[in-house]
Amino acid sequence: MIAPTLTALPGRSTVEQLDNGLTVCLLENPQAPLVTTALWFRAGTRDEQPGLGGTAHFLEHMMFKGSARYSRGEIDRRTQALGGSNNAFTSHDATTYYFNFARDRWTEALAIEADRMTGLSLDASEVDSERQVILEEIAMYESDPWDALEQRVLARLFGDHPYGRPVLGTAPELHEIGAAELAAFHRAFYRPDNAVLVVAGDLEAGALERVRERLGALARGASARQPATEPVFPHRVERVERRQGEVARLCLALATPAASDASYPAIRLLVGLLASGRASRLHRSLVEKHQLCSWVMADVMETTAPGALIVATELVADSEPERAEETLLRELTRMTEEPPAAEEVERAAHMLLAEWIYDHERIHQQALAAGFSLTLFDLGHKERQLRRMLSVRPEEVTAIARRILPPGGGGVLGWSLPARWSGA
Amino acid sequence: MAVRVCLPGGARLEPIPGLSSVTGRLLTEGTRRRSSETLAADLEALGMDLSGGGSFDSHMLALDALATDWERAIDWTAELLRDSIFPEDRCIWVRRQVMAELESLGDRPEVRTAWAFLEHLYAPHPMSRPVQGTPESLAAMEAQDCAELHAAALRRGLAIGIAGAVDPDAVESRLRGLLADLGFEAEEPPPPPIPQGLPEARRVVTLDVGDSESKQAHLFIGHPTVPRFHPDYEALELAGVVLGAGAGLTGRIPERIREREGLAYSTRGNTVAGCGLDPGRLLVYVGTTSAERVEQAERGVREEIERWLEEGITAEEMEETRSYLLGREPFERETARQWAELLADAMVYDIPLDEAGWREERLAGLTRERVHDALRRHIHPDRLKVTVGIPGRQDRSGVR
Repeated sequence: MIAPTLTALPGRSTVEQLDNGLTVCLLENPQAPLVTTALWFRAGTRDEQPGLGGTAHFLEHMMFKGSARYSRGEIDRRTQALGGSNNAFTSHDATTYYFNFARDRWTEALAIEADRMTGLSLDASEVDSERQVILEEIAMYESDPWDALEQRVLARLFGDHPYGRPVLGTAPELHEIGAAELAAFHRAFYRPDNAVLVVAGDLEAGALERVRERLGALARGASARQPATEPVFPHRVERVERRQGEVARLCLALATPAASDASYPAIRLLVGLLASGRASRLHRSLVEKHQLCSWVMADVMETTAPGALIVATELVADSEPERAEETLLRELTRMTEEPPAAEEVERAAHMLLAEWIYDHERIHQQALAAGFSLTLFDLGHKERQLRRMLSVRPEEVTAIARRILPPGGGGVLGWSLPARWSGA
Repeated sequence: MAVRVCLPGGARLEPIPGLSSVTGRLLTEGTRRRSSETLAADLEALGMDLSGGGSFDSHMLALDALATDWERAIDWTAELLRDSIFPEDRCIWVRRQVMAELESLGDRPEVRTAWAFLEHLYAPHPMSRPVQGTPESLAAMEAQDCAELHAAALRRGLAIGIAGAVDPDAVESRLRGLLADLGFEAEEPPPPPIPQGLPEARRVVTLDVGDSESKQAHLFIGHPTVPRFHPDYEALELAGVVLGAGAGLTGRIPERIREREGLAYSTRGNTVAGCGLDPGRLLVYVGTTSAERVEQAERGVREEIERWLEEGITAEEMEETRSYLLGREPFERETARQWAELLADAMVYDIPLDEAGWREERLAGLTRERVHDALRRHIHPDRLKVTVGIPGRQDRSGVR
């Protein structure tokens, strides 16, 4: 039996909702004299208007470009002067802003968040300048063979569903987005009743009061979020192919249920069995036994709507792509045929549990994990998933494998082949 | 808990390019008692994470384990260090994996340009090439070369950093018991060649981007500066934050190139990039599209470097940057893995990082004048080398 006293995150957590609807989670953990604030909005790519793809991400950039009390660049300068760091990221389901500060100066983050929630400038010339920056960002991802391949595979897998759209949008869409469109998105979603704030670390007494003072008076008024729609997945494995570089790369994306589905922990375990560690099945077969690939990885999207299990691998020179593909599909099929041994399941569970612990050592990582759970699910989401994953039985793995792996499951298999490759 | 072992030597002293990197990886591929498969099974049954590799200054081993398994983690670290057997068949496979890694990295246009830039700055020093070596050098090495490199490094001594929820005395006692009979000799290999760089001031690399619609070009500007232990390191580090190595989009280069002129998404500046036992570099990077924007970016970068050198840094920049460097210290000492790495690095670079207040004292002792003096000593606009990667179609063999 593994880790009977497991708790997903160290420290003591309390959750409170302010009168204006802001959900506040305090995660008290004095392991280091640090505090992270992470503000999550339930707004992402899936909330954008048709033809305005990239709005959520564009707005994320503009949140650093000036507000009533912080001129362009001032947020970063202030953060640096206080010895902290900050960043933000946008996904299909949510947008997140975080600050890391020493324990005696973290409240500056609250002042910044309150100011840009209520007084964002969105100056037209800044919008034009930032559009150029995002076009450069798109060019950067487009030139990376993995990013370019994954985007094509997911676009095919999800079709018209928002998860198939690039978070950055496309160049033509970006030219349709101006200050008015950004302001509308901000007005609709950047409200306390659509947000979750996590304050984690070595918290002083009265931390909640500090939050209430700064953010408690913000006006509620978020637009109702449209429920996540269900993607229409291919019934079988479809194919895409592109040419770039010298290395053959394979990306297989298979349709999975949403992260709230009861089967999700078994899918996590399946991912561990397939590719977590050197003793995992795909590593042993593709990398060690047949020596076709230099590495292989697998992961599963953790999304509010049905998502994808993704397997990615790179071939070594002189490997035949057909042989690597056959070997991969054979291993996946084997997983659907008979339950894995109990020891194999236990090894995968150990690996996943250890990975979780290693990946959540830092206050910053703990804050983001708590915020993710609360924003898209509930605070106990991760804890339940981990506990459930550790008790998945071998036959449950086989059952879920039959549902999502080929030949039963649908998906998209994408190849990025060397520009000069002349195989069939 | 985390264990980090550094065996000094590394790519800077290796007889065959890439040998340290392959040697480090082969430390995880089998011992007298266990095959690579058995090792993986034993470690992963306990959720341990093992990896090996190489840097310019050492080859290394990293093991992460749950603290409850600390005794086995220590025992197995000692076993890997003392009893690795460097099997020939595993060496052949690891070499192929490293070649694939090089090819994969080479498919990223900014990496190809960065490699060309390093050659431009450092040739014939080993830092002029990827730490993984070259396809030709990898093809030339054998398992016996790795065994010999490891044995020689082990004789010269090793640095082990261990951190986590463990009893330090018990860990030290166990480790000493396991490694007590290793004999050490003060045997120094010949030093690496001096970095000279290529003679031309400007180098243009054509990048094959295949089906990609990307038109992004990559601009690198800089020259070598100082090694990690140099007395001007902190002054240059601080000046580098002012240039563009700090938090978010702060710094003169990001402020001008990205925020004011909208020329790039990714841009940064640093004064001690990649420094270790050999000199690091002044490095400014801009990823941008179109030849005109490259020109504008290069002009902007040169003007900012000249202004920085001529005027030094402002009093406000001095205080903000000092505060930033001191404030980020706790973030670099949060986890067992960070601590273990810091401890091992401190031994390799002879830096008392475990001494409370040492870093604070070094930063507190800096003044604007000292920073400006360090800039005058180590930054030379007339020596700047410019490497530009431009999308196009070309045989990449010219940029190894």
